Amino acid sequence: MSVFIIKRLLSLIPTLLLASMLIFLFVHLIPGDPAAVLLGDLATPEEVAALTTEMGLDEPVYLQYYYWLTHVLQGDLGTSIFFQVPVLTVIGDGAETSILLALMTMIWIITIGLPLGILAASRHGTIVDQLCSGGAMMAASVPTFWLGLYLILIFSVGLGWLPSSGFPSLTDDGGVFNLRYLILPSLALAAPNAALIIRLVRSSMLDVAREDFVRTARAKGLHPTRIAVKHVFRNALIAVVAAFGFTFAALISEAVVTETVFSLPGIGRLVVQSILRRDYPVIQGVILVIVVLYMTINLLVDLAYARLDPRVSLK
Amino acid sequence: MSSLGLSLMLPLQNYWCILWRRKLTLVAVIWLLVIVAAALLAPWISPYDPLDINAMDRLLEPSMTHWFGTDNFGRDTLSRCIYGARMAIVIGLGSVLVALVGGTLIGMLSAYFSRLGHVLMRGVDVLMAFPALLLALILMTLLERSIVNTVLVIGLVYMTTTARIIFGMSLKLKGEVFVDAALCTGASHSRILLKHMLPNLWSPLLVQASFIFAFAQLQAAALDFLGLGLPPEVPSWGNMLAEARIYITRASWLLTFPGLLIILSVFSINLVGDLLRDSMDPRFKDDIAGV
Repeated sequence: MSVFIIKRLLSLIPTLLLASMLIFLFVHLIPGDPAAVLLGDLATPEEVAALTTEMGLDEPVYLQYYYWLTHVLQGDLGTSIFFQVPVLTVIGDGAETSILLALMTMIWIITIGLPLGILAASRHGTIVDQLCSGGAMMAASVPTFWLGLYLILIFSVGLGWLPSSGFPSLTDDGGVFNLRYLILPSLALAAPNAALIIRLVRSSMLDVAREDFVRTARAKGLHPTRIAVKHVFRNALIAVVAAFGFTFAALISEAVVTETVFSLPGIGRLVVQSILRRDYPVIQGVILVIVVLYMTINLLVDLAYARLDPRVSLK
Repeated sequence: MSSLGLSLMLPLQNYWCILWRRKLTLVAVIWLLVIVAAALLAPWISPYDPLDINAMDRLLEPSMTHWFGTDNFGRDTLSRCIYGARMAIVIGLGSVLVALVGGTLIGMLSAYFSRLGHVLMRGVDVLMAFPALLLALILMTLLERSIVNTVLVIGLVYMTTTARIIFGMSLKLKGEVFVDAALCTGASHSRILLKHMLPNLWSPLLVQASFIFAFAQLQAAALDFLGLGLPPEVPSWGNMLAEARIYITRASWLLTFPGLLIILSVFSINLVGDLLRDSMDPRFKDDIAGV
């Protein structure tokens, strides 16, 4: 097992290095001069040129990459051109919103997706199963931003029950009650992902139910509930755990859209806004952080997989 | 060509039997045909010009003259929805083509020539380190907003997943006896790849195509919404929703109709995709109970 972990960790390094190069290259290919954007329309060409030199943007790209990478490895992502504060601070400011949004979304996914998936599998072939599976497929076909806008229309504009945009920090007035700002966004984000979980729980439980050991358990005369919980669900959990990991990883990028719809001050919206502002350091930093996070989660999923299913690490 | 377990497609008439049993999928197929017909016949069936601006008719509610109402420029929503079907099909087919051609090439070549495979699949790994929507977002920022670029970017994003799948399957195929046999008869590499291996990949590719088509619709709509997809003047369902955002409280129909079209189309394609996938599953015969 430990050999497996070390191998997987080592294999991350070249991928991460290449990804960082790609991020740097992408960001530098974005049309638009950050110095000109920063100084506005009234700046003279000389001022723009001076700022370009000051920001080191006139150096060869490979040198700029080298400087950036060495700083990143020391934990310094640079300074935001727009905010004039360290990029890590900017990301840290958005982290609270994004993490809370992701957690709330996961809670919806677990409390809605898991039970419905088990229900569909245990009532396989009945009308209950058809409703669950059909409903899940329908939910997976809805664009998240559309669902978000409709939720705003119904619950904020129509009924006036929940706020439609923004998110004050939990440390601000209102405290924990500020979480109500995240109810609609997390629901919109959860719907398609919960749908995936329903379908996955259902199909993996049905797969396991066909196994010989389940037939044996049935032949022994075990109670159906016991078979469902102890034998089927436990083994189906392997695929489900993996799915949760991938879903959590997917939330990172799907949040870009949701946070934009609900004007949440999170990391997702930061990506879009810093692209519009041509804030190179922030774009690079945010994307790097997201990619590292994404890869870490995927690694953890792999490890969890290997832990739950010993056959994986033996391969 | 030898046939492996990978190609278990059913004869055409069997699909009719299954469709008859899966009524919902039958409805989905009919709906998709309607969308295709709308796209083909758009200039003849749409009641108004989709780009025709009419300041007098701003934000009209759905009525007999404007079935789906009008938008903030007084343009007829129904006509724009009909023309939007064209964009949906162009984006879907284009992305599928880019993703499948690119992904199959990368996957098969990587599996067949293992040295080249190390390089190519490493590249795929790097691209897959980016969440799909984020990758599309960055690439669209680099490029201009256009139909071709949107298709290329969405195609590239799904090319990586296709390459992974085809790589795995091709590796298995490469170890089969019929490939060795072909090698012994002196068949060239291109002949083995095209005549012996590719035919065994058709069915998984078809299934993959249906899901990419569906995902592409959602991705394109998300890009449109973020202002990084098709040019704003193009009447696509995603662009219509992006424009409707400001007016949702005054004109909810602008949100409802294009949204429902996206949902129904993606839902229908997914149903068809499920049917295709199930038909490849050997256990399918005794399990046609699902939706």
